[in-house]
Amino acid sequence: MGQSILVVGGGMSGVSAALEAAEAGYDVVLVEKNPYLGGRVAQLHQYFPKLCPPYCGLEINFKRIKSNPRIKLYTMSEVTGIEGEPGNYKVTINQMPRYVNERCTVCGKCGEAVEATIPNAFDYGLGEIKAAYLPHELAYPYRYVIDPSIVETEDGAKAKEACPYDAVVLDDAPKETIEEAGAIVWAAGWSPYDASKVEYYNFNSSPDIITNVQMERLAAAGGPTGGKIVKLSNGEAPKKVAFIQCAGSRDVNHLPFCSTICCLASLKQATYVREQLKDAEVTIYFIDIRAMDRNEDFYTKVKADEKISFVKSKIGLIEPGENGMLVLEGENTTTGERFKAEHDLVVLATGMQPNTDLSKIPADMVYDEYGFVQNAEGIFGAGTVRRPGEVHVSVQDGTSAALKAIQVVAGR
Amino acid sequence: MATKAYDKSFREEVYQNVDSGEDVKLCMQCGVCGITCPLRGEMTHGPRQLWSLIRAGKRDEVMNSPDIMLCTSCYSCKVRCPRGVKVIDVMHGLAHYALEQGIVPRKETSKFGKAFWDSIYKTGRVDETEVPMRYTLMAGPIHGIFNMLEMMDIGRALLAHKRMKFKIGPGLPPSKKIKGMKGLKKMLDKAKAMSPGKEG
Repeated sequence: MGQSILVVGGGMSGVSAALEAAEAGYDVVLVEKNPYLGGRVAQLHQYFPKLCPPYCGLEINFKRIKSNPRIKLYTMSEVTGIEGEPGNYKVTINQMPRYVNERCTVCGKCGEAVEATIPNAFDYGLGEIKAAYLPHELAYPYRYVIDPSIVETEDGAKAKEACPYDAVVLDDAPKETIEEAGAIVWAAGWSPYDASKVEYYNFNSSPDIITNVQMERLAAAGGPTGGKIVKLSNGEAPKKVAFIQCAGSRDVNHLPFCSTICCLASLKQATYVREQLKDAEVTIYFIDIRAMDRNEDFYTKVKADEKISFVKSKIGLIEPGENGMLVLEGENTTTGERFKAEHDLVVLATGMQPNTDLSKIPADMVYDEYGFVQNAEGIFGAGTVRRPGEVHVSVQDGTSAALKAIQVVAGR
Repeated sequence: MATKAYDKSFREEVYQNVDSGEDVKLCMQCGVCGITCPLRGEMTHGPRQLWSLIRAGKRDEVMNSPDIMLCTSCYSCKVRCPRGVKVIDVMHGLAHYALEQGIVPRKETSKFGKAFWDSIYKTGRVDETEVPMRYTLMAGPIHGIFNMLEMMDIGRALLAHKRMKFKIGPGLPPSKKIKGMKGLKKMLDKAKAMSPGKEG
């Protein structure tokens, strides 16, 4: 078999594209920026509407990758250059050092030995982890990472000394590799819109104002609170939880489009709260609830819970109130009343900003006004770089991109 | 179920006659404008409700809403509007249109506007003593004097900081005119002829 297919991004779309192409008999190079695969799906507590854990599906995919010799995996790597044309690309891959080699058994001794901590990126900055760490419990590849900040410090030496398997490599360095490929699938995913940009929500003013992605980590067993939904200001259980929809979405000053998933994410997270905290009240503030096709049933189900109420209002202001409460101001557009409502935990449902909006593909590509990429002759977008959407759409899109890539390389 | 059709004529009237009136079509009824407004405590409807009333054909309620003349052009709502509606332009457009139709939605604003315009038209400047004096006296001599007495502390402070000149009454002594008053008058007359509304 001739040319390989290069897939950028090891999240749901990229993993799907890589597996579909490899299992159809093509060689695949999979390039992932993080030290682990699974992308944002790996950080979710549960899927909507079935409320099942994403790890079932992810583990099956990882097993398929592990047992498929056609897939060559680069983690902690980014594509910095693409040259050539369809059927003949030369792709520059920049790999950052992990400082830990394949001898690592995840015994954890290096983590115990070092003292320095870094913000936990996997938990979206909620809490800290040791600077020698496993990104998360079910990480694939299952291997530790050492943060570059400690490599030249005493902590770096301690980590190396603590390792019984000689797996710590302190002189590891960035590597530049050039891979040849006939077609490229760009599945670089999305980033949560920066909530602090919506200045009237005063996101940084209170630890009890969090984003929807942070809420996933709060609810997840592997998260910073061991899965307990608490107010981060004092560790107590919240009594009145607010979800603010379209926080920076459908807004010409922020993300002008609808990300399609935030309504469902908040409905789902409302069930997390209600399952754990029997007395907690939940209010969802919305412009419109957008629950399409089968998800409408989920909306109906959540709406039936009398402790979950829906208020048609885009919140216009969040300010600290008395006794650690947060005061939300809005105009109820059903009744016409302007109101102030107190809550002790506020979740901002921020949208999906395509990563192609934040960092462009190093090739001549066409983007729409929001930064979503359009397919070129030999380079295909997959998943949320093409349009915002839920996980199963990303899987389908990965498969579709794999087929387009195969059509370029087949027979060459 | 009995239904009542909306009167579409008023919205068409607004789209065609009010400055940026067609922007009302962009509104998705989120309510951010009403909450952003620093005068939200004073507003009866706020922009969102006004847009809704326009669409529903409630001509009297919209044209008589004091809100359209209460807007101080701080632009907070326009900056935050997620749909980019030119809220201020429509508010002022509605006020102009109401005046043009012989409706005065908020007398105080209209009077203040007149005092403001007169001062500029006569002297080329806004006289900080003349304008409030004329404005308060528009309520009648007795009311005017009571109103002025209410403002005495502010007036004293302004005098002490030389932010205001002392006057016995309107035009006593008369305000100084700017140079080139003739040219300014010409410009103002032309602007007035172009503008759909009258002064105020």
